[in-house]
Amino acid sequence: MFFLGISAYYHDASVALIDSLGKLIDFKKEEWLSRVKGDKSFPRLALQELIDSYQLSEKNIASITFYEKPVRAWITVLKHSVKTNSLSNELTRNYFKNAWKSSMRFQLDLSKYIKLKKIPLLYSDHHLSHTLSTLFYFNSFPYVSVVVDGYGDKYCTSIHHVKSNNEIINLWNSEYPHSLGLFYSAITDFLGFAVNEGEYKMMGLAAFGKPIFYEDLKKTIKFENSKLIIDTKYYDYVRRTDRSYSNYLIDLLKTEPRQPDIPLESEDKNFQIYADIASSAQKVLEEILFKIFKYAHEITSESKFLFSGGVAMNSAAVSKSSKLEFIKELNIPPSPGDSGAAIGAAYYGFINKKNKSAEKFISKNNITNNLFPGKQKSNEDFFELVFEKIANKDMSLSKTAELIAKNEIIATCYGNIETGPRALGHRSLICNAHNSQLIKKLSTEIKKRNLFRPTAPVVLKEFAEKYFHLEKSLSNCYLHMATTAIPRKEFIDDIKGVIHVDNSSRVQICDENLLLGKILTFLKKFDIYLIANTSFNISSDPMVYDKEDAFLATERMNIKYLLTENGLFKKK
Amino acid sequence: MILSPDKKNQDLLGTLVEFAYAEYGSALEMLAAAKKAKSPKLKLGYIRHALDEYRHTALIFKVLSNQVKKGVGKFKREYKFSPQNVILKGYVDKEGYLVEKFPLKKFVEFVYSNEYLAKESFDYLAKRIGDAESLKTLKNIMKDELGHADDSAATLEAIQKDELVHHGMAKKFYESKFPNSKLQIAFKREKMKNRFRLFYYKNTKFLTKIFDPILNFLISCFGRIVNLIIIPNTNKQNLMSNNSKSVV
Repeated sequence: MFFLGISAYYHDASVALIDSLGKLIDFKKEEWLSRVKGDKSFPRLALQELIDSYQLSEKNIASITFYEKPVRAWITVLKHSVKTNSLSNELTRNYFKNAWKSSMRFQLDLSKYIKLKKIPLLYSDHHLSHTLSTLFYFNSFPYVSVVVDGYGDKYCTSIHHVKSNNEIINLWNSEYPHSLGLFYSAITDFLGFAVNEGEYKMMGLAAFGKPIFYEDLKKTIKFENSKLIIDTKYYDYVRRTDRSYSNYLIDLLKTEPRQPDIPLESEDKNFQIYADIASSAQKVLEEILFKIFKYAHEITSESKFLFSGGVAMNSAAVSKSSKLEFIKELNIPPSPGDSGAAIGAAYYGFINKKNKSAEKFISKNNITNNLFPGKQKSNEDFFELVFEKIANKDMSLSKTAELIAKNEIIATCYGNIETGPRALGHRSLICNAHNSQLIKKLSTEIKKRNLFRPTAPVVLKEFAEKYFHLEKSLSNCYLHMATTAIPRKEFIDDIKGVIHVDNSSRVQICDENLLLGKILTFLKKFDIYLIANTSFNISSDPMVYDKEDAFLATERMNIKYLLTENGLFKKK
Repeated sequence: MILSPDKKNQDLLGTLVEFAYAEYGSALEMLAAAKKAKSPKLKLGYIRHALDEYRHTALIFKVLSNQVKKGVGKFKREYKFSPQNVILKGYVDKEGYLVEKFPLKKFVEFVYSNEYLAKESFDYLAKRIGDAESLKTLKNIMKDELGHADDSAATLEAIQKDELVHHGMAKKFYESKFPNSKLQIAFKREKMKNRFRLFYYKNTKFLTKIFDPILNFLISCFGRIVNLIIIPNTNKQNLMSNNSKSVV
């Protein structure tokens, strides 16, 4: 029997499948298949692919769980808008108009693909789905789970005391509109980046600035007496649909919002101001986040943390949390945002079914064995028209290592795709991390990214401590680039291409059984111990999914080499 | 659907944005077609077509940027490229790509017709663009569009050829099933559909005037009711014991 979890309508839509042993069988994001980045529509393509791959029907589906309570999610914002704005307000009207596009139509959409008569349809609490999406990978209870995102169904931040699989106590929440995530998104919007997509750009930009707007921004959001309060005077997300900040914020910062059409370059006269605003917002976010962590520890006495929600993708903040002495262990799932919540939803169905026996159920899942779930079909029939196979399956990794040593850039489309937003080798562009010029070319010429966005290094476990200062409490986070590390002084010149301006690296520590681990093992003989790794996609496109996408992307990016599970290919 | 620019050259930038999304939508459609195609050659043909459409999207945004620099208008926030707008604006149907909804032959007919229509629209747009560089870019795109229309006709022939092999059917059958006139009918049908869409688009303000009072009435009725609904508080509760069937 299978347990299906679905997340959709607000952020990246996705589908997760768990089997009767509690194992993650598959996970698919709709954007991978539709090729529309951030696709939030009902995940019809992803679901259909799972139905076809596993012959899913009412006979073998134990339950389908949606990741939030749809009516609650719709009513919360509407209620707030009706209360604080007028009935003719743009946001109020928009909520009414788009009711039929909201998650309330979930059952209707789902029924087009699966007969629902005999299948229990469950609805998890939004933040519970996040907590469960983290708990899925960890099993030494108890934990305290902190969920921080933009907005869930009613709540924006939650603290859960996780005593066992079926005892998850909701201890504290911050209700809409008091949201740390929406604060960060509003500043992202102010800086001309897309909300729900550009937050990581702002985080990268923050490293170039000084927090000189910190005192100003601090006036707009605070955590006091165990309450998170945002002054909505400064933020228009409560009253407008076209922007998140208000004119009051423009006055407060005495800066004009950045025009989104002009690329932000370090030579621009306003670059420093925008970097300073980003740096200030980052500092406010970290300060409030750590106060929430402290409060979570105080009310639960737990020191093992689960952390999820969109804000958990802020690797710079995660890294600094290691300084908090009360945290002994900080665990983040590979996909902490809403798309990963589909895994939590599926897990909810699984635990629900097990009921009392769930208390004794010990999950055998961990991060490493669940990074690339699935059963992806491979179609390389057309490769012979465009590629020349230069190494067979058994020689492809050593040949890849040889090419990396010759300073070539290799694209990978290898087996199943990564669960989370970070490329961990199966959909990556990789090259020698000891060559900073090559990394610059990869980042700016090939991927056409802004200079302020760093490229990440990958290192084998055995060399990780040699190159980086690592924090024990974050050991799980290094496995999937959820945090950054400080490189050791003596290696800064050697690997400067993968070090950000704030002297940090979002390092991935790799198991030698994983693809990049195997390549790194071959690279030792060339005295190369780190690979530079960035996702295999063009900016504004989702990660490459199948072989057609891979070829198309190699054409658009002018990449010569492609490594797949069947061999290494060179463009004809 | 590709919107034609306003005759008075009003909102030229908005029209360019619509063109860019139309091209982006075509890129996604072609990629979806490539994934469905069984023949490697056909697959590659669709991928190449998609590549061109992606390139066009980028080029049109470049033209837009040039126009802003020229002072034709101010860059509005809604002009910023957001991939999801391709669905919201209806250039891609969230219920399915054309290749999923149409039989392959009808799909090829559709592409054939729309590539010609695209060329026509670009022609029209080009007349309204002043600067030489932007004009050159658009002319190159127009050339590509014509090429695609030819490709589509060729693809149709290739498919037909395949069918002849597969089913042992004679040329006579081809002519009875796909005479040129059929393509002409498809072409006219698509042209008509585009005119209807344009008519609808140009009259949305009028339609809003009709529907707004209805929406206002609904909001005033339900807005107050919504305010009375109490959302359950889950504080201090075991979330795993809550009603898993409840949507509130």
